[in-house]
Amino acid sequence: MSKPYFISVFDDEQKLLAGIKAAKDKNVKIDEIYTPYPMHEVIEAMGKKSRFTFAAFVYGFLAVISILSFLYYTSVIDWPINYGGKPTSAFPSFIIITLVLTIASITILSLFTFSIRAKIYPGKKYIMPDLRATDDKFIMVFEEENSGSKFEDLNKMLMDCGAEEVYKKEL
Amino acid sequence: MDTNVTLSKKYNMIAFGLMAIGLLALAYGFFTTAGRTWANILLNNYYFLSLTMGASFFFCLQYITQSGWSAMFRRVPEAIMTYIPYAGVVMLLLFFGVQNIYHWAIHDASVNDAIIAHKSPYLNVPFFFIRILIIFAAWIILTRYLRKLSLEEDKIGGTQYLEKIEFWSKVFIFVLAITFSIGAFDWIMSIEVHWFSTIFAFKSFASAFYHGTALVALIVILLHERGYFPQLNESHLLDFSRYMFGLSIIWGYLYFAQFMLIWFSNLPEETIYYVKRWNNGWVVFFILNFAINWLIPFVLLLPQKLDKNIKVVKYIAILLLVGMWLEQYELVMPELTTTPHFGIVEIGGIVCFAGLFMFVIGRALIKAPLIPKNHPYIEESLYHHVH
Repeated sequence: MSKPYFISVFDDEQKLLAGIKAAKDKNVKIDEIYTPYPMHEVIEAMGKKSRFTFAAFVYGFLAVISILSFLYYTSVIDWPINYGGKPTSAFPSFIIITLVLTIASITILSLFTFSIRAKIYPGKKYIMPDLRATDDKFIMVFEEENSGSKFEDLNKMLMDCGAEEVYKKEL
Repeated sequence: MDTNVTLSKKYNMIAFGLMAIGLLALAYGFFTTAGRTWANILLNNYYFLSLTMGASFFFCLQYITQSGWSAMFRRVPEAIMTYIPYAGVVMLLLFFGVQNIYHWAIHDASVNDAIIAHKSPYLNVPFFFIRILIIFAAWIILTRYLRKLSLEEDKIGGTQYLEKIEFWSKVFIFVLAITFSIGAFDWIMSIEVHWFSTIFAFKSFASAFYHGTALVALIVILLHERGYFPQLNESHLLDFSRYMFGLSIIWGYLYFAQFMLIWFSNLPEETIYYVKRWNNGWVVFFILNFAINWLIPFVLLLPQKLDKNIKVVKYIAILLLVGMWLEQYELVMPELTTTPHFGIVEIGGIVCFAGLFMFVIGRALIKAPLIPKNHPYIEESLYHHVH
């Protein structure tokens, strides 16, 4: 199951960015980058675009429609109750429930979406290529098969960019 | 860096022209419909005053949160703050028309009306104007002091001014919370003397903050179009949009909260307020108000691409300024006229106050360098970048 990976360690974010640039110039495919803190430059450099906000909007839109129609069905069609002479289709009083339930739906659905997209589930064993990424090092990981590059070339390229070390590891 | 704004000769001419046209229209109004004219003066004065207070709250908030992004824009709310004394003078001028607007100010009103009689220890003409004096004195002293500190920082520099302004900003927003509530109760809510809403002050304040921010954004964009804030980038626009977007939700929430509770409890003395705003053609303003102040900004500012678009932000800010006028119109007018009027008096009122506002802001803007020099966060602001 385990595959060979090249793991490079940087101690400075500027050096890491230089490494990313060099890898891009030479068409070496980066598998993953681990940083001690979120770096927008990394997200941009990896060419990852988040459609998360759009997904949240769609969830919210669907939630509003379904909650309002559910409320309409229960309080107007299925079981109309007269509250102090108010019309059964009491739209303003539906709004609060809709608002709260929409927030809840978006939150929960976003959580599941994120878990599915990131392949995270309870009890999953997390593989950390290099534990120093949780400390103060920046880790860039290449998969040997996909990177399309030999270890020696990669080593030289990254060392030129200021990498601390580059090593091979089975994960 | 140390560019001062220069106004073209046209600017002041336009401002004075607007004032002159407005004054003529208001004078015409006094001879034909005095009551409506006084109502328009109150309406427009309160409109520009709440924009001013919103902008001053925006200014204070930047210091209290120690925001870096907005450091270079702070001269704009500072310039808007200088309008407060003028609004105070106009508020005091209401003395001559107080009986045209406020039912409780008519001496005989409390004789046959138990509610007005009960409220008269608070709502009476002398105390009303004493409150105006106290409120405006507090605002003028505090905002002048903030402005003075801000200008001193330009000359001397150092972090002590940041801390000082931050402290006095905290004092100011504390004072503002109390005085603005009293002001909103006095000037607007007491027009309908039998009615009350405990959320009214907060709603008015949220509206002022919301639209004041839109005004700051609009002036910044207008200055940028004339070449003054060359550093204005998408990140600044995104932050302005976030302010407007967030506040549109708060505004909509409070507006709806007041309506919902009154609608739900269905007490005649409370619902009459909305009955008036639902009949005789006022419903158009009621719906327009909600659409302009909440629906349109909310929908348009949702996608981040539009948030960063200078044209979109500019037109939304303009739309919000119209929206706030509609909101105030819908608060003030239904109590005083049975059907909506939009004629020469209304236009004259807006034009007159807009001219005055333009003149005051322009005069304050040219006095100091547009971009503050020694602000500790100025570099962060000039090269602001968010994702």
